[in-house]
Amino acid sequence: MKTEISALMDGELFEDETEGLLDRVKRDTAAHKDWEVYHLIGDVLRQPEYIHCDLSAKVRECMRNEPTVLAPRGHAMKRKIRAIALSAAASVSAIGIVAWMSLQVGSEAMPQIAMQQPGARPASAQIQPKSNDYLMAHQEFSPSTDMSGGASYIRTAAYSSDKK
Amino acid sequence: MTPTETKGGAAMKMRTVFCGLLLVAAAHTHAGEAHVGLDWLKIVAFAAHQTDYSGVFVYQHDNHFETSRITHVVEEDGEYEKLESLDGPRREIVRHHGQVWCLINHQMVQTDSRQVRSMFPALLPEQLIALGENYHAMQVGTERVAGYNTQVIMFKPRDNYRYVHKMWAHTDSGLLLKAAVMGDKNQMIEQYAFTQLQIGGNIDRSWINDAIRKHEQPAATPRSAKGDTPVNSGWVVGGIPGGFKKTLEIERTLRGRHVPVTQIVYSDGLSAISIFIEPDDEDENDSDGLISRGAVNLYHKAVGKHWITVVGEVPPHTVIQVLDSIRYNGKR
Repeated sequence: MKTEISALMDGELFEDETEGLLDRVKRDTAAHKDWEVYHLIGDVLRQPEYIHCDLSAKVRECMRNEPTVLAPRGHAMKRKIRAIALSAAASVSAIGIVAWMSLQVGSEAMPQIAMQQPGARPASAQIQPKSNDYLMAHQEFSPSTDMSGGASYIRTAAYSSDKK
Repeated sequence: MTPTETKGGAAMKMRTVFCGLLLVAAAHTHAGEAHVGLDWLKIVAFAAHQTDYSGVFVYQHDNHFETSRITHVVEEDGEYEKLESLDGPRREIVRHHGQVWCLINHQMVQTDSRQVRSMFPALLPEQLIALGENYHAMQVGTERVAGYNTQVIMFKPRDNYRYVHKMWAHTDSGLLLKAAVMGDKNQMIEQYAFTQLQIGGNIDRSWINDAIRKHEQPAATPRSAKGDTPVNSGWVVGGIPGGFKKTLEIERTLRGRHVPVTQIVYSDGLSAISIFIEPDDEDENDSDGLISRGAVNLYHKAVGKHWITVVGEVPPHTVIQVLDSIRYNGKR
């Protein structure tokens, strides 16, 4: 069924096959879900500014209710609270990803979609110049630099384009 | 003989060496897949250092895509490498002998770095043994990447402290043409893949003079000559996952720091975890927390009077566990 849906979306089915398949998709809720997911994947690959999906809305709402992970350093007590907040945030985003994974059609080639909202950027956007020095210093000694050479330096923030 | 012919001759010689290595790899086929996977790793590391190449690759992590050009050439005085961004603002990183220059505010600036990086891969035999204990290596067929035939090798970790690594190595040269890092549910963490690549032949070298030799200021020499000092810092990491071996413990300088920073590196052969320990300078801008970029996770935390940072190509829970297990045991 999945291969047929994929073929249909690529315009590789004959007209009579298409009609039969569309009928089945209408009746079968699982196939309907596959149809939606395949379109979502297509949308993501085309990188539109916004992705319309029920799941993203739900994840976005959860994220909005989460406390900010990074905050200026204060007393030891505050730190402890943040640590708890951090693990809570981590578990919520983990649920988001797992929920998405269960929808995914079981191929590693498909990109993982991190639902993001402009209001609460993930921590990766907040790399400080100071943190970047650690990334550079680590990269020098990482086996990944031995395997792929300088390409692994793309992970350092000096090279990051999402720096504000 | 013109310089180009010399290069061509060198390339031929390299090719012969690779063929030899490949034959060795092939001979081991019956000795088990794991062995073959590890042999490929040696070939990949060798090729990364010894091959002249220039190409465009796409790096993908989360929902970001970026395109960059990388050029790598081997000169008489070592390897030269340039990484430049093709989308967004202009960014450039140049490496030579372990020294790294970054384009900051339209100027190439040397970042503090270790003295001279060894010419050959740092993959030591004991690391390869450790790798076999921590990952299940397998060959998963051949695929075409950027117009070249590649051998696909997969490294599946035996526990969940590390990521799955998948590599596409050029069957002739051994160059890594595509690499993916995946989580325990096969979800993509990051991926990079060449879309266009020239291996060997006439590769532009004019940037070497522009980028490095021009910016090599006398001031840079004493700083790099100071280098890093191996130490026994007295810090112990109780919670380092099994299979990670300590490969380095040094006192080094970091840009903008007045005091030396202790760096301890652990490696399991495919990924590394670096631990940085420095006195807490009570900087208001420092914040505890976790930062990720692709497969790399970084976790900061103040522990007593120290500011500790853990960085590695490992899942977030691994860097957090490592940081929380660091204790000062006293110097002996």
